Amino acid sequence: MVEPIDDFERDLREQLTARDAPEGFADRVMARVAERHEARQRRWWWLRQPVWGWAAATALAAVVAVSAGRQHEIQQRRQGEEARAQVMLALRITGTTLRDVERKINNPAGAQRRAGNRDQKED
Amino acid sequence: MDDSPQTFRATVERHQARVFSIAYRIVGERGTAEEVAQDVFLELYRQLKRLESEDHVTAWLRRVACHRATDALRRRAARVDTAGVAYEDGMELRAAAPGFLPLMNRVEQLLMTLPPAQRSVVLLRYQEDMEAEDIALEMGMPLATVRSHLQRAVKLLREKAQRSLKEYCRG
Repeated sequence: MVEPIDDFERDLREQLTARDAPEGFADRVMARVAERHEARQRRWWWLRQPVWGWAAATALAAVVAVSAGRQHEIQQRRQGEEARAQVMLALRITGTTLRDVERKINNPAGAQRRAGNRDQKED
Repeated sequence: MDDSPQTFRATVERHQARVFSIAYRIVGERGTAEEVAQDVFLELYRQLKRLESEDHVTAWLRRVACHRATDALRRRAARVDTAGVAYEDGMELRAAAPGFLPLMNRVEQLLMTLPPAQRSVVLLRYQEDMEAEDIALEMGMPLATVRSHLQRAVKLLREKAQRSLKEYCRG
């Protein structure tokens, strides 16, 4: 809503037009901006030193090396467990075979019957 | 908004009169006003990337200039305590000095006798040519408060202007 204005308010508007800023105001503002920018750069200068680049690269290399070593260890353990399982299976098979042979030697007829029963079950 | 030094300088040059005038007419002293205006532009430089358009920058500058100038006035009032009142009275006395100061200074000095909140609202209304609704939005004030500040301020200014004119004629 636009409010009606009288002569006094019109005068106020005329008398309160913006004043010029003091001479060189923009230069002084820009100088303070530059000063603040430099101060901020000085505050963080150590972060831009090359030593931090080397430190980061070394840390990264260490992480990669540790990770690769751990991966190798896991793989070796897995292979060991597989080999152990295979040996156990071979020993079980050998044990069963030896028990069958022993029975055949001690009781050939019974062993033949048991062998026949086993073949039927397998069929 | 772009915060390169060239663009920022152009922004300062475009708005310096507005910001300085608001600060000066609220604090009533050139040195403090310049300090406040510089601080406002430094703050603008920090916030520039968050502001989306030229209108946004203008509204931001008006609001921050009013707040910063009012804060500076409060700090000074806290420092000198009662001297603040004496200063305002002094401004009014000088405003009434016969034919000594041009009209523009007299209006500004009469403005200094208003409470700071009324001063800000009067400046936004008559210097910045804003409507009461826009002032309320920009300053985060209820519309009724803005209207009441404006009515009281204009009434006071009118009375003071008439009084000083009478004293001038008598003198």
